[in-house]
Amino acid sequence: MDADALEREGLAAAAAASSANAIEVVRVEYLGRKSALKQALREVRDRETGMALNAARERLEGAIDARESELARAELDARLTTESVDVTLPVGGFSRGKLHLITQIRREVEDVFLGLGYSVVDGREVETIHYNFDALNFPAGHPARSPLATLFVDETTVLRTETSPSQVRTMEVQEPPVYIVSLGRTYRRDTPDATHSPIFHQVEGLAVDEGITLADLTGTLDFLLRKLFGEKRRTEFRTHYFPFTEPSIEAYVSCHVCDGDGCPVCRHSGWIEVGGAGMVDPAVFAAVGYDPERYSGFAFGWGLERIAMLRHEFPDLRELWRNDLRFSRQF
Amino acid sequence: MRAPLSWLREYVRVDATAHEIARRLNVSTLEVDRVIDIGVADVGDNLSYLRVGKVVEAAKHPNADKLQLCQLDVGEGELRQIVCGAWNFGVGATVAVGLPGVLLPGFPAPLDERPLRGELSRGMILAEDEIGLGSDHDGIMLLPGGIEPGSPLSDVLPVCEQVLDCTTTMNRVDLLSMVGLAREVATLCNGQLLPIDVEDPAIVRPGQVDVSIDDPEGCPRYIARVLEGVSVGPSPMWLRARLHAAGMRSISNVVDITNYVMHVYGSPLHAFDRTKLDGGGILVRRAADGEELTTLDGTVRKLDERDLLITDGTKAVALGAIMGGLDSEISDTTTEILLEAANFEPIGILQTSERLGLRTEGSNRWEKGVDPHMAEPAAVLASRLLVDLAGAELTGAADVHSGLPERAVVRLRPERTNRIVGLDVDSEEQRSILERLGFEVNGDWDVTVPTWRARDVTREIDLVEEVARVVLDRVPHTMPLRRLVAGHLTREQRHRRLVEDVLVGSGFSEAYTWSLVAADPDRNALRLADPMSGDQAILRTTLLDGLIAAARENVDAGNDGIALFELARVYLPSGEALPEERWRVGGIVAGGFSEARSAVEAIYDALHLELRPARTTVPHLHPGKAAATTAGWLGGLHPALLDGSWAVFELDLLELTAPIPERVLYDDVITFPPLRQDIAVVVAEEVEAAALVDTILEAGAPELRAANVFDVYHGDQVGAGRKSVAIHLSFQVPDRTLSDADAAVVRDRVIALLAERFDAELRG
Repeated sequence: MDADALEREGLAAAAAASSANAIEVVRVEYLGRKSALKQALREVRDRETGMALNAARERLEGAIDARESELARAELDARLTTESVDVTLPVGGFSRGKLHLITQIRREVEDVFLGLGYSVVDGREVETIHYNFDALNFPAGHPARSPLATLFVDETTVLRTETSPSQVRTMEVQEPPVYIVSLGRTYRRDTPDATHSPIFHQVEGLAVDEGITLADLTGTLDFLLRKLFGEKRRTEFRTHYFPFTEPSIEAYVSCHVCDGDGCPVCRHSGWIEVGGAGMVDPAVFAAVGYDPERYSGFAFGWGLERIAMLRHEFPDLRELWRNDLRFSRQF
Repeated sequence: MRAPLSWLREYVRVDATAHEIARRLNVSTLEVDRVIDIGVADVGDNLSYLRVGKVVEAAKHPNADKLQLCQLDVGEGELRQIVCGAWNFGVGATVAVGLPGVLLPGFPAPLDERPLRGELSRGMILAEDEIGLGSDHDGIMLLPGGIEPGSPLSDVLPVCEQVLDCTTTMNRVDLLSMVGLAREVATLCNGQLLPIDVEDPAIVRPGQVDVSIDDPEGCPRYIARVLEGVSVGPSPMWLRARLHAAGMRSISNVVDITNYVMHVYGSPLHAFDRTKLDGGGILVRRAADGEELTTLDGTVRKLDERDLLITDGTKAVALGAIMGGLDSEISDTTTEILLEAANFEPIGILQTSERLGLRTEGSNRWEKGVDPHMAEPAAVLASRLLVDLAGAELTGAADVHSGLPERAVVRLRPERTNRIVGLDVDSEEQRSILERLGFEVNGDWDVTVPTWRARDVTREIDLVEEVARVVLDRVPHTMPLRRLVAGHLTREQRHRRLVEDVLVGSGFSEAYTWSLVAADPDRNALRLADPMSGDQAILRTTLLDGLIAAARENVDAGNDGIALFELARVYLPSGEALPEERWRVGGIVAGGFSEARSAVEAIYDALHLELRPARTTVPHLHPGKAAATTAGWLGGLHPALLDGSWAVFELDLLELTAPIPERVLYDDVITFPPLRQDIAVVVAEEVEAAALVDTILEAGAPELRAANVFDVYHGDQVGAGRKSVAIHLSFQVPDRTLSDADAAVVRDRVIALLAERFDAELRG
């Protein structure tokens, strides 16, 4: 038997094989149990012939393996070219929804304050006038106490007009330090229009501890406003009046649309009013039994709709209650 | 409150511009919405085209019956010809003239010379509305004689004015006055307050004025002054111009004076035609039930004992502090007036004004609590102006009160200010701020509160605020130290977020719907005492109605893929005043029962709960597709409620999340893999899948770990009224791998119990 001739013949057959099946046939024919090479190896009696045959077998095996991978690769390549899709073609997709825009902002605010070490408190929506007005130092005759401004369930029960009752309820059951935010629905007797709704949402913040200052309040609100409107924003605080805080301030942020140059969004003032805040009035502390000489605190209460409308520049807050998916799906 | 700057500068000397003043006021005092420029624009040499002119000749225009042809001296050496359409003047009149080139407010281009009906008109004789001094266009403005023709008009009239448009907070009624604003401006802008020197006119021919107060709580003070020989007529130009700039309409000299003085001191006044008062005196009392009064606006007001009335002892003549009566209104023929400068208690005024829906400049101030001390300077200034401008003589005066409140004294610790504000404000600066605002501070820091701040400054913290607001723009930004704080969401809050996220991930978008509804399935649901409308009268006990409305909104909008959820509160009647507020999650999605179940199953699965729906009956659900769970219901929406096929669900969060395990325990699924087999059993149609599975698990325990229905077959092969249910079984024990023989034993137990309970037959 001529090992060289056999090897040459096998190599030529491997090279000629043009498919995975063909190379398998070649492998059986030249390396299989019944192949001439295997038979020769079984019959070999001298060392020299054996080594030569073995070397030929190894080379042949290597060549067939190489050809086999080459063919497999070529077949994969050929298949892949036929499997091409139009990547620009739209697909059915997994269905997915959107959180309501107010929920998104609610979570943003909650997360900012969770990061600052505050807890989130769920207040009540139906409240007694004690928690909604009296304990918050609303004077007798304050317009908010009127049924023209507030929705009453009965003489002593109202739909809360701000989230602030949650402050009182928290302080009643917890000693300082208190660091909370409370977000939710609030109610006022406002006829619905582009900027008013009888139901709206507020975020309430309260920090009571030893040594809390007005500067801590402006610093905290400055931080929050930059998180909501962008790190480049500037803030300004102006004096105001609320029954439950003294001193009271109103927070302004430089306009995110014109950056303070003046535009319709900021009514050409460069500043946007965001909401009220102040140092907790000692009368509120008295109502919950905190010592105003030992503790001080700040509080703020802002409308979430206003933040949403300013930030996303939509003109009519009734969109938020219409639940039209064409609106929700934008955010 | 509108404050014209030229008027304000009469009370405060200050260098700052209108915009600088507005900026400081905005930060430290009140909101200045804007600075309004009124009158003629002060740009370029525009003002130089406005002159005082004297009419030298005036005759009918030769070609037009309605026009006058005039020759005027405007200080140019030669006369100037102007065509004019007004006839309320003649030769010798002193008038305001606009020369060609002047740009007048409301005109698109500067005035030019032009022929009118063939006669050249080289300028314009001006009416007050043409230069923004008023709204009158009945004739041209007549200026007092004696002004040199050619004088700049701006020396004579406020032809250009800047007005601060202010919104006051309700605690600062003192800022609804020019003197109050002036004091703030002086404090904030380093200005100097100027005293108002008014000489009270002497009483000539003193006469008796009877004033009595039946209700001293409602009316703590009543100053009445009688003025005779009054000549009612138009106000002089300067007064008309100031009122116009301040946003008030000129009516007559007498009425204008009361409005003007109210604006100066913030203490409203009223003038009665005294001849209409029986007896000429005043009795202040509560109205009788059902008593009527026709107010100035011509409306008949029906009153009761809550309302404060000004009467003449016989009949009502004014609704105290709110509006005068029609009968005693000042008219052209009035010659004798009783001037009221009083003080009224705020809450009663607010209530009457709200109940009657009648708000006036007066009530707006009274309801906030006006300083009773202000009545006196207001009476003095008004008397002076009535004498000077209406030719009146003061013939009587009364001032009835039972003692005016003393000024309060409050102790301030300057270091307390700094502790609250977080800024070191030098104590001398604190003293200076308070003193400039009208407080008196002694060496021990006992601070005497001025009368006009008596209501809103009563405590140390109120003094702290006075300092804080003035230094507000210097307050640094710091953060609380938060040494003992750990923020976190509660378990309930985390679960709510999870449920929201699961539904969003399942294709649902979140809806917000009204908590107030027109009708509710719970007859005891809370109802508002006085709802805004019938649609928002009841506090809902279910989210369903809102979600149906939201789905309908989307159908009408032509949207597809409608899937909505809401996670919000319902208000369950509790038998007590406050309802039980419970969080619910509800959803609505186009589709059938399987969509409802898929959504609810996704929620249960995310919360590590097992959903076990049971057939139920609920009025709003399709009777054949209604299921109850541990926390609520799900199913097909009853077709009567919304066209189309809809799946709905509502779960109570408290009930839903109560059984969630504290922690999830490890279950070994690797060491001894499960053995899986399928069986199919034929049972009667009405046997529910859950009942089969429960029985299978009961019989197969403990080796049988799971049984899941994967197919239900109806057809000839199983017979009418019966169905074949195919079930995956999974056998597993913790200590060895089960063999087919082990499984066969368990399976026999299962089939035996199914046969016993459900007459089930093993299929093929």
